[in-house]
Amino acid sequence: MRRRSRHRVRSAMARYCALTLWAVVAIFPIFWIVATSFKPDTQWFAWPPVYFPHPPTLANYLNVWFGAEEYAATQYAISSQKPLISLLNSTVIAGTSTLLSVVFGSIIAYGVSRYGILSEARMFQLLILRMIPPIVIVAPLSLYYSALGLLDSRTGLILIYFLTTLPYAVWMTKSFIDEVPREIEQAAEILGASRWRTLFEILLPLIRSGLVATFLFILILTWSEYLLALIITKTQVTTLPIELSKYQGTTEGRVYGRQAALAVGITIPLMVVGLLIRKHLARGFSFGMVRR
Amino acid sequence: MSVASASIATTRSRRSGREGSRQEGLRRFRWAILSPLIALFAFVLLPVLFLQLYFSFHQWTVYLGSWWEAEYVGLDLFGEVLSDPRFGWAVLRSLVFAIGSTIGCFVVGFALAYLMRRPLPGQALYYAIFILPMLTVPVVVAYTAEMLLYQSGPINDLISRLTGIDFKPMWLTNPNLALATVMLLEIWNWTPFSFIIMLAGLAAIPKEPIEAAEILGASRWRIFWEVELPLLRPVIVLALLLRFLEAMAEFPKTWALFQGGPGTATETLPVYIFLTTWQYFEISKGAAMSYIVMLMMIAIVLLAIRVLRREKSSLDRMYAHAAAADEAPA
Repeated sequence: MRRRSRHRVRSAMARYCALTLWAVVAIFPIFWIVATSFKPDTQWFAWPPVYFPHPPTLANYLNVWFGAEEYAATQYAISSQKPLISLLNSTVIAGTSTLLSVVFGSIIAYGVSRYGILSEARMFQLLILRMIPPIVIVAPLSLYYSALGLLDSRTGLILIYFLTTLPYAVWMTKSFIDEVPREIEQAAEILGASRWRTLFEILLPLIRSGLVATFLFILILTWSEYLLALIITKTQVTTLPIELSKYQGTTEGRVYGRQAALAVGITIPLMVVGLLIRKHLARGFSFGMVRR
Repeated sequence: MSVASASIATTRSRRSGREGSRQEGLRRFRWAILSPLIALFAFVLLPVLFLQLYFSFHQWTVYLGSWWEAEYVGLDLFGEVLSDPRFGWAVLRSLVFAIGSTIGCFVVGFALAYLMRRPLPGQALYYAIFILPMLTVPVVVAYTAEMLLYQSGPINDLISRLTGIDFKPMWLTNPNLALATVMLLEIWNWTPFSFIIMLAGLAAIPKEPIEAAEILGASRWRIFWEVELPLLRPVIVLALLLRFLEAMAEFPKTWALFQGGPGTATETLPVYIFLTTWQYFEISKGAAMSYIVMLMMIAIVLLAIRVLRREKSSLDRMYAHAAAADEAPA
């Protein structure tokens, strides 16, 4: 008995050690970029590496996000307010495309769940849209967009994000709709409500939290998308990930602190959103096939 | 009497009329729902696919005049791509990258999930920390990696200090190491994916067979291999397949960190297509290459979908079983 409990204590300790080890691995790069964002320029690239900024400074944030002049005078000057414009672009593009995706996705999901308007085979074929690497259509897409005048526009990016996230929206909202018993809708229909009214006034309010989770999940994807944004938006409309990549390989050398300040600003909203829907992430990434 | 029969007659005709209009309404409803999807396919996807096919058969690049007057070259471009050794290497590299990082993500993610399969104090905190890497923008991962991995950077410094040996691999400039570096980043970035899926799977599998095996005195090891693993199969297949497909498309980290270099060490398929099209401006060759990759990926995806459909139905059965078990005592 004694031996058994000792064994149990030892196995619990081993378990915590393993979990803590990976927790350190998971968090160290995030710690590093946050620390770097508060470092003065002499500590960005120091040897031996500086782990904790001393003294911590807000100069990187002020310069990158607000183009603060007093910091722009140094050799690492980045004196533009482009990140704020990109922030606006990112918000509008990710927000609109995600909203479209969830609205149309949930309508399609309703039709599939209740009226079988797409067979199971068709539903799976919809996944092809998501599973083919986007790189294979990027070049013709940019030519097509330039012919339509959609290149370097918010509309163009919204449209393609809408298309590529639609499979996630349909599958994820369908998994929520499938969990609602049909009796409620049938009652509404007997009382004479039309299909659209049943959908908008009965069903969608019932899966409200699921819709919010779907919205936030797809927002994660559209917010961090890189390849399509890199090609389709050139100069007029840039999103935050593209703005960040412009700091790379430029002639002013390594501007780690500035990059870090920008990167932290881009990542924080994503982490907040992700942690809010942490229970729904498995459902999202598995197209609603794995529930929790 | 006559009133009654008249009312029956009208009810009957109304019913059949209602049935007809119901069918009609359903059809209209169906079209209303599907029309946005069809419109997207017709006005975005189809023209793009057509353009891509056009460029695969016509030699055109930016300085060759109007693209619609490009010269028809038949299958030449496909031949050019298929006889290009760089393309072959890119295919190989992509497969190595995708398979390696998928296995890496899965092993670590599954191990973590397995350790957390029963509630333990601090679970919520560990869960929150473990999913953070997945909530980092891929480009940010690339730049953070650059800040961490240069030769005298913090990672090498930290490992040297902890182990006492002079640990100085050139993660970013050694061509033999670069692909492994991107794989490690991919594993860091996406282990949370395997973790959350496997954790959800472990929570969903029925408990009775495991308890029965425990009562019968089976060892932990045997329970794992002979009871839990078979029960988890659908979730495992899902976690592996979806991760593999995403890894085949990985672009942001590879590109932002390496642009295919050093040399051609990290030139995966997406990177090589990107280079061909946007750096060498061989638009037509890029299109032909895209077409080959697309067909290859469609073949893989269709195969994956067949497997997914089978596994999804066993998953659905598992959830139905769990729901029935929940309702039974009440």
